[in-house]
Amino acid sequence: MKYAFVVAAAWFLAILDVSAMPYIHPLGVSPDLVLVFAVSWAVVRGHDEALIVVPLCGLIQDLTTSDPIGTSIIALAPAVPIAVAVRLRAIESDFLPTVIAVMGTTACYGVISMTVLGLTGQEIGLFHSLFRVILPGIVVNAIFTPVVYLPTHWLSPRPAAWLQGSARLPSSL
Amino acid sequence: MRLIWWFATVLAVSFITILLSEQNALDPFKNLTLTVSAPVEGTFRNAASPISDIYEGIVDRGDLVDENDRLRQENEALKAQVAAQQDLEQRIQELEAALAVKSQHPEDTLLVASVIAEDPSGLKRQIAINLGQGDGVDEGMVVLSREGSLIGTVSHSFQSFAWIRLINDPDSAVNAQVNVAASGSGDVLTPDAPTDASPSATPAASATPAPEPVRGVAQGDLRDDLVLELLPPEAKIDAGALVVTSGLGGNYPPGILIGSITDVEQRPQAPFKRARVSPATKLDGLDTVLVLVSFKPARLEAP
Repeated sequence: MKYAFVVAAAWFLAILDVSAMPYIHPLGVSPDLVLVFAVSWAVVRGHDEALIVVPLCGLIQDLTTSDPIGTSIIALAPAVPIAVAVRLRAIESDFLPTVIAVMGTTACYGVISMTVLGLTGQEIGLFHSLFRVILPGIVVNAIFTPVVYLPTHWLSPRPAAWLQGSARLPSSL
Repeated sequence: MRLIWWFATVLAVSFITILLSEQNALDPFKNLTLTVSAPVEGTFRNAASPISDIYEGIVDRGDLVDENDRLRQENEALKAQVAAQQDLEQRIQELEAALAVKSQHPEDTLLVASVIAEDPSGLKRQIAINLGQGDGVDEGMVVLSREGSLIGTVSHSFQSFAWIRLINDPDSAVNAQVNVAASGSGDVLTPDAPTDASPSATPAASATPAPEPVRGVAQGDLRDDLVLELLPPEAKIDAGALVVTSGLGGNYPPGILIGSITDVEQRPQAPFKRARVSPATKLDGLDTVLVLVSFKPARLEAP
């Protein structure tokens, strides 16, 4: 059931990405809401679910864009280890780790997409792609993280109190 | 260990699906996806368009007043040109009638298509339209704006949908020429330049021999949008000169407006000049485009 919800949500966000989001381009790039959703889910729900959700989001992303199917599946894959890494933290809040994971995943996603597109024959300007697309994308996706993170966070079950360590700072997020 | 296996599986699956995609074996899935999502995408685009106008209005407010003044002066200059043009057309018709010849202008067949999606990656400049192979749209076909200027070519055609590679995509290269004769009209478009487009001045101008057009390649560029490469170093090109398709190579009909020169760059030791081109049509936020189905690109006509 939860994966049906993931597919529906990712589909909705993928459609937003290609239809409405191109009109909104702060710093010259549009936010990638599917990426933000995949990372938010991976951080909030843990890496067991991320192993399924991240490739699903990649597949849906590929089906709605002009990229060859498989590009986003592989480009989003680093979201899982990054999400695992940011869960090892000193504060209880999921929000800051999610933002950091979104930024890291955006960087990896951009570099891998660029590589795959280059290998499949697309002309890629390395300097421009890096400094005009990937770096602004890191900032823009981080800015848009709350839009996707908060619903994901609210819809997730809270961890039991006895599972929480005593050395972490509590947070409402 | 589990994560390593997962990575290996994802890599293998991605590699296989990318290969299959390159062979167009997964096109039915993409077509099905677009068929299902097209109505929703259209609704979202329509809803987002006014928001975009407000957003751009806020961002670009400082430039709007200047642009308005410039456009007003351009409009005035263009009206003078239209008057001169009408005079010339009438003269041509009279001459054609006198010589009993008719110029060949085959009717172009154009299909009107709605834009349903834009590639969001930023690494490409592509849009999706709601026409595909079922409507006679094939890869390589030329796509025009509503006003008739070039916006791109069909890069991938599915049964009911197609992706269009815009002229500012890094993969796009169009054989183009700068109408040096029209650089006068380009100067007319510059508010500071003196205009001589009055009907009385035109016959005198037409008496002088027309200069040879300057040929180059209009290459998409993510940074500069559109650049004209491989221009001869001795070519004299003014800002405002019109850039049109040259027809060389057979992939585009000649004479389609691409844009106008904004500035010319000549680097020391560089064998060619390079010019930035401002596309005639705003390539962001396109909603309706025309697919030229009557013109078959050389690639499609090859046996």
